[in-house]
Amino acid sequence: MTAQTDIVVKRRAPVVGGLISWLLTVDHKRIGILYLLSASLFFLVGGLEALLIRIQLARPENTFLSPDTYNQVFTMHGTTMIFLVVMPLAAGFGNYMVPLMIGARDMAFPKLNALSFWTFLFGGLFMYSSFVFGGAPNFGWFSYAPGTEKLYSPTHGMDFWILGILMLGLATTIGSLNFIVTIIQLRAPGLSLTRLPLFVWTMTVTSFLAVFSLPSLTTAVLLLFLDRQLGAHFYNVVQGGSALLWQHLFWFFGHPEVYILILPAMGIVSEVIPVFSGKPLFGYPAVVFSAIAIGFLGFTVWAHHMFATGMPSTTLLFFAADSFLIGVPTGVKIFAWLATMWKGKLRFATPMLFAIGFVAMFLIGGLDGIHLAVVPVDWQLTDTYYVVSHLHYVLFGGALFGIFSGVYYWFPKMTGRRLQEGLGKWHFWLMFIGMNLVFMPMHILGLQGMPRRIYTYGAGRGWEVWNFVETIGAFIIATSIMIFIVNFFASLRMAATNEEDPWDGFTLEWKTASPPPVYNFAEIPSVRSRRPLWDEKHPELADWRVEE
Amino acid sequence: MRILHKCAPFALGIILSGCGTSPSFLNPASSIAEHEAKLYNNILIMALVVFVFVEICLIWVLIRDRKLKGDDTLPQQIYGNTKLEITWTAIPVLVAVVLFAMTVQTMKSVAAPAASATDINLHVIGHRWWWEFDYTDLRIKTANELHIPVGATVQITLDSVDVIHSFWVPQLSGKTDVVPGQTNRMWLTADQTGNFFGQCAEFCGTEHAMMRINVVVDSQDRFDAWVANQQKPVPQPQTEDEQAGYKLVSTLCASCHSLNPGETETKVGPNIAHLFSRSTFAGATYDLNEENLRSWLHDTQPMKPENDMNLKLTPQEIDELVAYLLLLK
Repeated sequence: MTAQTDIVVKRRAPVVGGLISWLLTVDHKRIGILYLLSASLFFLVGGLEALLIRIQLARPENTFLSPDTYNQVFTMHGTTMIFLVVMPLAAGFGNYMVPLMIGARDMAFPKLNALSFWTFLFGGLFMYSSFVFGGAPNFGWFSYAPGTEKLYSPTHGMDFWILGILMLGLATTIGSLNFIVTIIQLRAPGLSLTRLPLFVWTMTVTSFLAVFSLPSLTTAVLLLFLDRQLGAHFYNVVQGGSALLWQHLFWFFGHPEVYILILPAMGIVSEVIPVFSGKPLFGYPAVVFSAIAIGFLGFTVWAHHMFATGMPSTTLLFFAADSFLIGVPTGVKIFAWLATMWKGKLRFATPMLFAIGFVAMFLIGGLDGIHLAVVPVDWQLTDTYYVVSHLHYVLFGGALFGIFSGVYYWFPKMTGRRLQEGLGKWHFWLMFIGMNLVFMPMHILGLQGMPRRIYTYGAGRGWEVWNFVETIGAFIIATSIMIFIVNFFASLRMAATNEEDPWDGFTLEWKTASPPPVYNFAEIPSVRSRRPLWDEKHPELADWRVEE
Repeated sequence: MRILHKCAPFALGIILSGCGTSPSFLNPASSIAEHEAKLYNNILIMALVVFVFVEICLIWVLIRDRKLKGDDTLPQQIYGNTKLEITWTAIPVLVAVVLFAMTVQTMKSVAAPAASATDINLHVIGHRWWWEFDYTDLRIKTANELHIPVGATVQITLDSVDVIHSFWVPQLSGKTDVVPGQTNRMWLTADQTGNFFGQCAEFCGTEHAMMRINVVVDSQDRFDAWVANQQKPVPQPQTEDEQAGYKLVSTLCASCHSLNPGETETKVGPNIAHLFSRSTFAGATYDLNEENLRSWLHDTQPMKPENDMNLKLTPQEIDELVAYLLLLK
């Protein structure tokens, strides 16, 4: 073991300090931090775009944004939050935490890891540079052909989007393969798959989902690029192409993508809830199996995004049935989290608040999703604000709350300091109230017949009040984010306490210094159960006694 | 359960304040929307039961099981419970089966009836950013404003000349996408007279928000009168201005806007043979009156950016055009 440490130290020795060392780093922890910080900056930009949308829609017939600007803004809001925020945030935590949680010294391919990060950052910046070069993409994150053909989208925005997506897809593919190899190959002695922390499990499933679904998106955008630049006609109906080909290719990626976004957050919540309840995760095998089931079923429901496209009723019913079924493993998870808290000793620190918020809000996103899987109801509600509400309960109330839970949970590990609890609670409650003010009324607007992606609406249809309430909610969320930023910098300025294990944790990342040394562990730990640290702290109640 | 059944939609009605004015399928004007609303409400009740149950459990646990100050005992370590886990897997599976049955049943109820001779056949054509309505049997073409008689079955075929649109009048029926290169079918019926708001529901470019539909459901008599008027050829210009206007229309406008009510060709712009029989224009977004028409003819772009109509007309030309167009009732 010591020999290995020496090698690592030697490799680091000639590296210069300061900013350059961050540019050249291949250390999984530094790359993780780079991912987290870049994605946070994109989060602020995507959030500003959301505010612009909400200002425009606050009043009927508002002229705050021109139609084309509005379309660019909502396109970039969606693209940013999905590809440049939630995915890289999960990749950031994954990079930092997976090697620590499995007792490894780094990812399997450190240089590929750096390549993946820089490809992601460059892809994101490239896409945003379109604002300077004649206009951003303006046809939605879903970019439905043939509206994205050159004839209908003549600016270069779509080309920037296509090339940006290719880069981001490449970055994710490289990163996912790295995760898969790392998790399969570099686990500490005794850390069998059946003992893997839940976050590591969900990162595994997520990585497989990405590797198998991204080729479909890559194909879709490459064909579109050929159409636009070389006069091919894959989506060009007049010359024998197919308009719906895009939708099938896109959603074959797009639905697994939803699980790529939510599974890592589910993993975080499955780490946080047990620790702050003082109990093991209830029904670990069922929770792991449900994540895998979601991974498989996630590939069989894509056409529920296309119920109104004129498919035959057998096809409709097949996809409706599969969509109902995917609710089953999701339900298993929610009940497992509840049962984990049941008769625990709950500590309501901020990571736990966000994890509970996740359970409460994700539930809404699951239940209103049922309406959208029911074909005749979907014919009414698809492409309305009901869908916007649903997806934000999943991705904001779900993915983002999970990620914030992770931020508060792992910040002490990364920096040696806790985020301040008081400000953290303000952040949580304002965000919780704000998100419900924004997204709950969207259900009503959808029922009242308001379509999504409209830059303006007329008065007198009952839409004004709710739109105004939503705009207020958006600013409450913005306030909560500002509190978080203050907390972030204020906490960084505090003296480091370097607590190794501030939350009384269960998994291996709490077994090393905060922040961890370059080589992570002086001695590679060996593992006998799902909660190695619990075993150490409570040998008389050790998990391996039960599990074995 | 029965009381719940009646109360839930009612409670929702209160939340949907202004529901009476909202184009909501929960305020249905056809048997199709009514079936869809009923299904929505039934599933809402099921979802609310689950929601309330889970959130109450959650809140209860959060209050009961919080760690008290000074309590350093360990909670009991519970690893799982197979029976419980099977139960909460099996119940959702059963619910899924019920949902599936409900879906099948409603899909049957809202399926299009077999074609009959009394049906109105309608061809809907989506354009960026307006709707063309072609009554194939009646030889009438109109735009954005759809007239149908109450109680009739309207069999619709949908096509697009450019990108994907989606035809949606919530109170009458769910939406059907209008896909280029693929003729989709749907049907409509209305069980009460009145005006019903609709809108393109699939993002179709810059002016997607300005691609609206006004459905006028008439009594059979009024509908027949409307049809008879629409079938009339355009009137002859009389005054000098009208004649000059007619000349302008037939040279400047006719390549995009047909003056023939029975036009079979799909033109770039709406048929204007009976322009002033409509109450709105520009994708059913502006009231059609002389003032709005004048500012439209002066410059269309501020009113509807990026639409295809780009004319530079002199004030005199506008006067002449308006003089003639006002005749097209």
